[in-house]
Amino acid sequence: MIYIDTKSQNIYYNLAMEYWLVTEKKPSDTVLLFWNSSPTLVVGKYQNPLEEINIEYAKTHNINICRRMSGGGTVYQDPGCWQFSFITKSENEGIDFKQFILPVIDVLHDMGVPGAGFNGRNDLVIEGKKFSGNSQYIHGGYTVHHGTLLYATDMVPLVESTTVDPQKIISKSIKSVRDRVTNISEHMEKPLPGEVFKEKMVAGLLGDGAVYDLTAEERDRVQKIADEKFNNYAAIYGGSPKYSIQRKGYFTGGKMEFNISVAKGLIKDISVTGDFFGTVESEDFALALKGCPYEKSAVVEALGKMPGEVYRISKEEMAGLIVV
Amino acid sequence: MKKTIKLPELGKDIKEYVLVAVNKEEGEPVEKGEVLYEVEADKVVNEIEAEDSGIMGKWLFEEGDEILPGQAIGEIEV
Repeated sequence: MIYIDTKSQNIYYNLAMEYWLVTEKKPSDTVLLFWNSSPTLVVGKYQNPLEEINIEYAKTHNINICRRMSGGGTVYQDPGCWQFSFITKSENEGIDFKQFILPVIDVLHDMGVPGAGFNGRNDLVIEGKKFSGNSQYIHGGYTVHHGTLLYATDMVPLVESTTVDPQKIISKSIKSVRDRVTNISEHMEKPLPGEVFKEKMVAGLLGDGAVYDLTAEERDRVQKIADEKFNNYAAIYGGSPKYSIQRKGYFTGGKMEFNISVAKGLIKDISVTGDFFGTVESEDFALALKGCPYEKSAVVEALGKMPGEVYRISKEEMAGLIVV
Repeated sequence: MKKTIKLPELGKDIKEYVLVAVNKEEGEPVEKGEVLYEVEADKVVNEIEAEDSGIMGKWLFEEGDEILPGQAIGEIEV
């Protein structure tokens, strides 16, 4: 086994490193990464952030939003949540989580967390409470297995940022399962500082394996993948399953109700009804907004180009209603 | 020649998958070995590579649909 210290708390960079390993570096030996990140919400491959995340809370608390390439549900990560990644050649037919999570459980037992085990959904638990979610993607003969380890995570933003107001959204997205969660450090007699926990986990998982440092060129390449494939609107929102959403609002100028279809992060169709007054028809909204990113500033800009007007309802108010 | 694209057996324990991405639209050229579509089951995403080069034909399912191993899910002109 080979260990790589990513030396980064940037989740886009760290996920890009996994991808770089399977698509370009293609190691013959299993690679271990062990990292944490600044506060970030990570949705699964086929999830819709609007259905999983309190976007307003995330924005006001400077929490990043990211889409990973593996399946499953949304997780919240912060510097108190460690992440382990195994990148290995896919040798087994089918899905095998145990070869990756049993060593993690063994090391936790050695570190004085005897209650650590796994449940039927391949999550790691202590006393029935989850401290680790795991998922995988398989690409070009390699398996990327990654899992979270809640060690000393701030539980307030974890709960608040994943508590979503029910919206009238219709989609076929994968829905998250909400579990009771716990921090590993709460189950240790003498909790270790986070960095010491990391050192012990890496030592236990790596055994007599080697350490590899990326060259400057390799780091540049990983950063480029992070920018192009993970840290942009198209990757985060454009990767959502198509969905339709109803939005109803009351203004001084009257009631408006929008029916919006969104695919790949763009408005595919939109119609409006209500008792508002103006010189525009529903078709004018459709003409102005079809193809527009489902994002408030883009909608304000597109509405600015729409001929005619709606009386006593501003473009900002309408955009604030249209976009969650 | 039109060829059917079938979801391969990816694991004996998995009976059903969700089609989570189709990476080629009808009429687009396809290179053998490039990722043609992606399926998800039990928190695992499998990227499925094209077995042939050719021109993508119709998809018989859309993203979000449940599909079964061995099922015909699309067509390719090879």
